[in-house]
Amino acid sequence: MEASFSFERTETIARAVTTTRPSLTYWQDAWRRFKANPRSLISLYIIVTIGLFTLVGPWVWTINPMLQDLDQISVPPGADRRARVVEPHVRWAITETPWTTSTTQLAVIGEATTQAVRLAWNPVAGASGYRVYRDIAEPNSPDALGLPLTDIVNAKITGFEDRLDLKPRTYFYSVVALSSKGFELKEHATLAVEVTRVITVNEAIARGLSELDESSLIGETVYLDFHPLGTDYLGRDMLARLMHGARVSLFIGVVAPFIYVLIGILYGSIAGFVAGRWDQLLMRFADFVVALPFLLFMILFKIIFNTEPGESGIFAMLLAMILLSWPATARLVRGQILQIREEAYIGASRLLGAGSMYLILRHMIPNTMGVILVTLTFAVPGAIFTEAFLSFIGMGVAPPNPSWGSMCNEGIKTMLTAPHELVFPAVFISLTVLVFNLLGDGLRDALDTRMRSD
Amino acid sequence: MANSRTNKHAYVRYAVIRLIQGAITVWLIATATFFAMHNVPGDPLMDEKAVSPEIRKNLQAKYGLDRPLLEQYGIYLSNMIRGDFGISYAQENRSVNDIIREHFPVSAILGVLSIVFAALGGILFGALTAINRNRLPDIVIMFLVIMGISVPSFVFAALGQMTLVNVNAFLGVSILPVAGWGSVSHMIMPSLILGLGTMAFLTRLMRSSMLEIDNADYLRTAISKGLPPTRIFLRHQLRNAILPVITVLGPSIAAITTGGFVVELVFAIPGLGRYFVQAVQQSDYTVIMGTTVFYGAFLVFMVIVVDLLYGLVDPRVRLD
Amino acid sequence: MALLEVSDLHVEFAVQGGSVQAVRGASFSVNEGETLAIVGESGCGKTVSVQSVMGLIQTPPGRITRGTAKLRGQDILGGVAAGGREIRGTDIAMIFQDPMSSLNPTMTVGAQIAEPLIVHRGYSHRQAMRRAQELLEMTLIPDAASRINEYPFEFSGGMLQRSMIAMAIACEPSVLIADEPTTALDVTIQSQILDLMVDLQRTNNMAIVLITHDLGVVARMANDVAVMYAGEVVERGTVDDIFYRSAHPYTLGLKSAMPTNRQGAVQKLTPIEGAPPDLFDPPPGCGYYTRCPYAMEVCEATPPIVFDVDRAHQSRCWLHHKDCLQQVTQIYRP
Repeated sequence: MEASFSFERTETIARAVTTTRPSLTYWQDAWRRFKANPRSLISLYIIVTIGLFTLVGPWVWTINPMLQDLDQISVPPGADRRARVVEPHVRWAITETPWTTSTTQLAVIGEATTQAVRLAWNPVAGASGYRVYRDIAEPNSPDALGLPLTDIVNAKITGFEDRLDLKPRTYFYSVVALSSKGFELKEHATLAVEVTRVITVNEAIARGLSELDESSLIGETVYLDFHPLGTDYLGRDMLARLMHGARVSLFIGVVAPFIYVLIGILYGSIAGFVAGRWDQLLMRFADFVVALPFLLFMILFKIIFNTEPGESGIFAMLLAMILLSWPATARLVRGQILQIREEAYIGASRLLGAGSMYLILRHMIPNTMGVILVTLTFAVPGAIFTEAFLSFIGMGVAPPNPSWGSMCNEGIKTMLTAPHELVFPAVFISLTVLVFNLLGDGLRDALDTRMRSD
Repeated sequence: MANSRTNKHAYVRYAVIRLIQGAITVWLIATATFFAMHNVPGDPLMDEKAVSPEIRKNLQAKYGLDRPLLEQYGIYLSNMIRGDFGISYAQENRSVNDIIREHFPVSAILGVLSIVFAALGGILFGALTAINRNRLPDIVIMFLVIMGISVPSFVFAALGQMTLVNVNAFLGVSILPVAGWGSVSHMIMPSLILGLGTMAFLTRLMRSSMLEIDNADYLRTAISKGLPPTRIFLRHQLRNAILPVITVLGPSIAAITTGGFVVELVFAIPGLGRYFVQAVQQSDYTVIMGTTVFYGAFLVFMVIVVDLLYGLVDPRVRLD
Repeated sequence: MALLEVSDLHVEFAVQGGSVQAVRGASFSVNEGETLAIVGESGCGKTVSVQSVMGLIQTPPGRITRGTAKLRGQDILGGVAAGGREIRGTDIAMIFQDPMSSLNPTMTVGAQIAEPLIVHRGYSHRQAMRRAQELLEMTLIPDAASRINEYPFEFSGGMLQRSMIAMAIACEPSVLIADEPTTALDVTIQSQILDLMVDLQRTNNMAIVLITHDLGVVARMANDVAVMYAGEVVERGTVDDIFYRSAHPYTLGLKSAMPTNRQGAVQKLTPIEGAPPDLFDPPPGCGYYTRCPYAMEVCEATPPIVFDVDRAHQSRCWLHHKDCLQQVTQIYRP
């Protein structure tokens, strides 16, 4: 059956299999593994984008982040920017009983604009005065009519000019008659008023919104300044604030970890090298700093360092963060060094006559680099969180300097009416923290530093 | 070789040593707080309207600010040992002790609910993802976990409140109150929100711990013994996987405590955290010092409690 | 008929871009009260073979693609569905290489020994613990009464392996599989553990499948030997067949790499040149081809078939083909 088989001897050399694969250095191999992970790569791209947004952004979008656009307050992105040009406001001299008709109780005189809303109503028999309310939703109970605007104590005056912070939207005005003792009577009238946006001619010219001259401009429609991501509650441009806020948040988020990791490396390697009693002493101190409740002492330090009025508070925050955060890295580096010192290759190297400096440069640093890099990457989201937390409770960057955290703090106040003021900075914080976390995961896997995800 | 009796001795010794270490840490925290606050330039009474030097002097005497620093420190320490944290600057008729006594229980209830929620959720979801590794539940939960870790607690708080407002408005009835404190229904949303970040973190930890154990030799032994899968899972895998989760419960309590500041602020809960933030904003130094030391002692104590509990659960804990 | 008979076992593991054929046709058997040693270098498939028999292969990535394992003529490869779990821990038990990591660190040793008794025999906790103490005494652990309440970290390596054995024999299995049971222990302890296994084998009339790469252990313990190489059993026979009538070049290679203790002998140890083939992409012919000093042209592309060298002595080598004219003196040919 196996008749055709040849049972001749073969030469050994001919059979030798060559298994030479190209050899890679540690970092080449790590980079290869890192590149193979799409999540790490995407997060790296996003970090670069955020970096460009922060560094280059303000050169491209040159609007001053502190400039208030009072005509566009809490405007969401993509809102209508049209405004009609009108003459400067002239005070409404209310005559007694400016308007009467038997059909409606309450009416608007003239046009309701963001400049002024003029209301007039029919007198109510037995009233000794009137109270005017304004609400942004239709009131469903006579007990909750919204914001009380004014009390008119003269029953003969049945008109009111509202100039309080008007926005281009629908308002619900209610007028209630008051008794002689100042109590509200039962009679009240409610009117929905659509307010249109206007801008005075002087302002339109001053801001350069149109090329036309003063006389021909009146009655024209101009476009107000463009705010791609809307404005905040003071009419400041969100995009510009996000860019400048990014500078603060990322500066703290990147610089603070960088410095304290560096301090931690120094401290940890000194402790690891001196060993013995001094090591014990140094590490006891580190343990003590770790035991301090971090955010409480951040707040304390902020109070101590942040005394100059008008200071942004960035430096105080940086200093507090550095003073409290270095021990984790110090412990890690010390542990690594103690561990590496025991490795056989260090002994072998020493036997071959390697000096301390050589050992440090050739073995210690390359072997701790991976762990340190991963620690640094994971420290960034922590620092960004800390900045955001402190700014959120009002302990962070002082206004009017924007930071993502302080923008959230401001945004939360108008969360229900203008959610974009909270959502944008929150998204930026979350996205940045997310990508740094993903990058850290990717680096940890690529560098195989045997750290767990905690 | 140790038998169980010497083990018990070692454990008690370990507990005593840990408590002494904890007391020293608290003392250091108190000292650091004292000197930190006294290095604040200016005078705590600067903002008071007491312009007259006479009144000012009286006030300084009242708060003991006219004495030498070391004497002040001595008084401060002896007061603290007696559990007296002084009187608030801003609310002159209230002692710091009263403030803590009144508001800490609120924070404690919120914190306990959150940590229970976070631990149970973390263990449950972590185990779930590990069992379904790389399948749909794993992918969905791990995506949410990454979100949970990346979104700051105040954003969760704001979103939670916003959701409640909208849901209540949509349904026309209040399913849960939007803010405030008092009934069980007030507690649900804030404690869920507060526990969310920690739960995400614990889920991730539990998952990696489960997966690490998945390849453990002793699981192979358990299979070779022919044990039923549920017994292997509960007795051999889950039990060992939970250990790392327990070790981080101490730090998690710290995270939840400080996270509580924000949640109390957003949900208008009269907890100690909100008072602390208020005190900071009003430069109410005695309240700041008192609450800092109180929180510091509380957190140090909680870490010790968790470590001691861990010593009971994991027989291998190093008792030295 | 042999008590445990494994024939033509094939196991593969799915990996990135293909599969590793860890076991490519392993056949061995063991009789009641006897010891079979499976020898071979690391990665040759010894452990995977016995783990398949125990149902310890995780699927996926592992998969048993072919072959049978019969205990008293009944197939046990089917796993839990075919009653595999009932057999595991009762009729077949296993001990492992590293006793420290093979015991659950958070359960007392006693509870772990008692577990199979509670599960399989329906013992109460108290009965099972009493039995656990007896088992520890049988495995010669001093002060067993207090030891049952201690945790693995309080035991030394040798005592842990004794506890593992106590746990394995709790339900009086007819086959004990021991995967390198003494590799992690120092030499004096090694000897004690082997003695203990021999003693227990005698009293319980238990068959032992012993995996090792230590030919000294083989000589001391085994009745039969299976030599594995690159996922295949390349030679099977009695211990004397293997040591004195080696019929496969690889067995020769193993022997010449092993030190002997003949007094005054000036000996030269010859390592086997080269490395075993990558089982991700196994060679078409004989796995030993590239390292074999007697390789022939046929060996390159045609896998050798199993030749009966003698009664109960088999070799998977073309040298035993009737047309092969090459005379190799060290290779036994009757």
